[in-house]
Amino acid sequence: MLQGERVVNIADLKEIVSDWRVALYLVILVLAIISIGPHFEDGQFKTNLQFGLDLQEGSWLQLDFQSVVIGIDTDKPIDQLTADLKAKLDADVIQVAPSKLEVRKLVSKEELTKAFDSLQAGKIVTYEQGVSKNTADDVKQILETKINALGTKDAKVNTLTGMNGITRYIRVELAGVSMKQAQDVVGKQGKFEIRVQTTGNDTEHVLFGDSITSVGIPSQEPAGSGVWGVPFTLSETGANALRNASINTGAVTDPERHHLEMVLDNRTVFSAPLSPDLAAKIQRDPIRELLATTGKGTSALNDAKNLEIHLRAGALPVAVVIAGSGSVSATLGEHFKVMSILAGIVALLFLAIMIFYRYREPSIVLPMVLINASEIIILLGIARFVQQLDLSAIAGLIAVLGTGIDQLVIITDEILHEGKVPSPNLYLKRLTRALAIIVISAATVIIAMLPLAVMSLSTLRGFAIITILGVLVGVLVTRPAYGRIIMYILSK
Amino acid sequence: MGPFRYDISRYSPIKMMAVPIVIFVIAIISLGVNTAHTGLPVTPGIDFSGGTAVTLFTGDSADQIRTYFSGFPLDSIGEGVNNGKYIKFAAMNDAKLQELSALISQRYPDAKVDQIGESFGKTLQEQAIYALIFSFIGMSIVVFIAFRTFVPSVAVVLSAIADMAMTAAAMNVFGLTLNLPTTAALLMLIGYSVDSDILLTMRVLKRQGKFEEKIEGAFRTGIIMTTATLSAIIGMCLVTYLGQVQVIYEISMVLIIGLLFDIMNTWLTNAGILKWYVTRREGREYR
Repeated sequence: MLQGERVVNIADLKEIVSDWRVALYLVILVLAIISIGPHFEDGQFKTNLQFGLDLQEGSWLQLDFQSVVIGIDTDKPIDQLTADLKAKLDADVIQVAPSKLEVRKLVSKEELTKAFDSLQAGKIVTYEQGVSKNTADDVKQILETKINALGTKDAKVNTLTGMNGITRYIRVELAGVSMKQAQDVVGKQGKFEIRVQTTGNDTEHVLFGDSITSVGIPSQEPAGSGVWGVPFTLSETGANALRNASINTGAVTDPERHHLEMVLDNRTVFSAPLSPDLAAKIQRDPIRELLATTGKGTSALNDAKNLEIHLRAGALPVAVVIAGSGSVSATLGEHFKVMSILAGIVALLFLAIMIFYRYREPSIVLPMVLINASEIIILLGIARFVQQLDLSAIAGLIAVLGTGIDQLVIITDEILHEGKVPSPNLYLKRLTRALAIIVISAATVIIAMLPLAVMSLSTLRGFAIITILGVLVGVLVTRPAYGRIIMYILSK
Repeated sequence: MGPFRYDISRYSPIKMMAVPIVIFVIAIISLGVNTAHTGLPVTPGIDFSGGTAVTLFTGDSADQIRTYFSGFPLDSIGEGVNNGKYIKFAAMNDAKLQELSALISQRYPDAKVDQIGESFGKTLQEQAIYALIFSFIGMSIVVFIAFRTFVPSVAVVLSAIADMAMTAAAMNVFGLTLNLPTTAALLMLIGYSVDSDILLTMRVLKRQGKFEEKIEGAFRTGIIMTTATLSAIIGMCLVTYLGQVQVIYEISMVLIIGLLFDIMNTWLTNAGILKWYVTRREGREYR
């Protein structure tokens, strides 16, 4: 740009910047730098970029649900069928869609078919390992609650739901946490206890969480009444303990003054009296099937959901096994970060040398390389909101550098075609033609990357999202601006 | 490239495509043989077959590491500079795995460990294959919509197929496995591969002028594009090889191989088909 008589003076610069495409590009570039927010904190260089687990200390766990979702074709009432299956398979069975059941146990298709045959319950139409989206969300919530209790601020729980709406895997990422700790978070349960009020506010122990054999999902009891509750089942010893305590303390005769309290890790999470009906029943027999109601309305439903989690004491409603896991130490994370930055710089340098070797014209090479580099900055500025940077996302960034330079070369060559012609009209025509080529190739890259971006191939999502974003930024912002800048430079 | 001139006027389309066709056939055969042996055209890595990968820096020699981990299904030890090691284990059961984790954190607390279970690997593999298929179909549709003429569109898609097949075969030769990063690289290759093909086709179909001149002009631009991209990726490859950043190193290796094949497939395969298409069209007229 600064060659002999072709010195760009202030007036020229003003003219370039006054083009709206160039102006837009500059504004976005500035916004991106603000968004990245490079600053010094305690003498250390910091940015707002979020780094993934490859680039900082942490662990990840991929959990595989030990549960199946089946599509059924049956004449039996669904309620009856789920109850029968529950008994037959000794597993929680819930209805998740009009003709879909979730069996919360990893039962083989053969075993299920056998159960269906013996119950004369119709046919199994589909069989898939995993859980419904709702269950997956519940599990996610439970895991998040547990992680919050750990005090880790940088944690992510992602469910990977397939196109059929069934979730097979859930992924937990914990920054700054070792593998051992991460496994504990998933496995560890809280201490759950039911106590009964004796006199005044004093309470006495009734049973521990191990006496609860299963916990249902929040439902309306009776159906359609609008009253929400969580059904749960006690073991035989649990039911006996409850009966004895209720009778001894007088809860069966005066329920209002002898609330049953649920205590999780020494915190009371639910407190309510026995219903007169239940009190009468308990006096006669030990009762195993119980229901804790929370009232009517949305807030009651939320209470019921929380109660369900508490009843499980942090245990997941569906068993999981670890399907994959990984961890990075702080030193290696730092090493990868430095190497990634270095790889980016060296890639840009190699590219600049090659471009210079081909064009030998600083007034072309300089804007080309600068635009290419600034594209990465804009991309990082956007990425900070949508995507954490891990190694594959970094590879995506460098891939964008590659497609970016391809397209800048196309523009440059198209405009340079048959030498320099000082006719703005002709330049414009050529620029339009170049942009047509670019739009097509951009569309193919986006289409090629789309499956990765929407599919749940965990770590590759970052790569695909960064690449697609990069191509979009290129086509919408930097390429048009570059076209104007290079046109201006060449027509001088 | 200085004195080299891309002049295809002396070559018939068949002559141009002879070399790529031979390589393509060899690639397909070798992929077939590999499928018979491993179940996949490219030997699957731990992401797809299950297993454990460990990255660490240690002064211990490969033999020492082998002795330390004897009793575990150790597959391979890759050695970088600066004492970097990349150790791969085959899939093992949960108990064995926990034993291994304990052993690793005891001796090499700073290691990066990634473990994929066999069934999870299967799921990932299925999804990766779907991703490749969908990408390919999507790319073909875009190309057909863009050109709206049959032969040139087929030429672009064919040379993309050739790129992928040859790259996949070469991966087996270089000992690169098919895993999540290399799948991403293959998908990226679809994008890179059609870039130069589209440039070529647009220049030939939409511009005025003699075929030979148009195609030579396209070559000048196209080769700058590919070499510029190549140089960036070679830079990335060098740094990540020396720095033992396995993920990026594998991605860049696949891209380098793919881009080299792409040069051949764009300027011989695709250009050959286009030449045949244009000369055939030129022969038609009313007299």
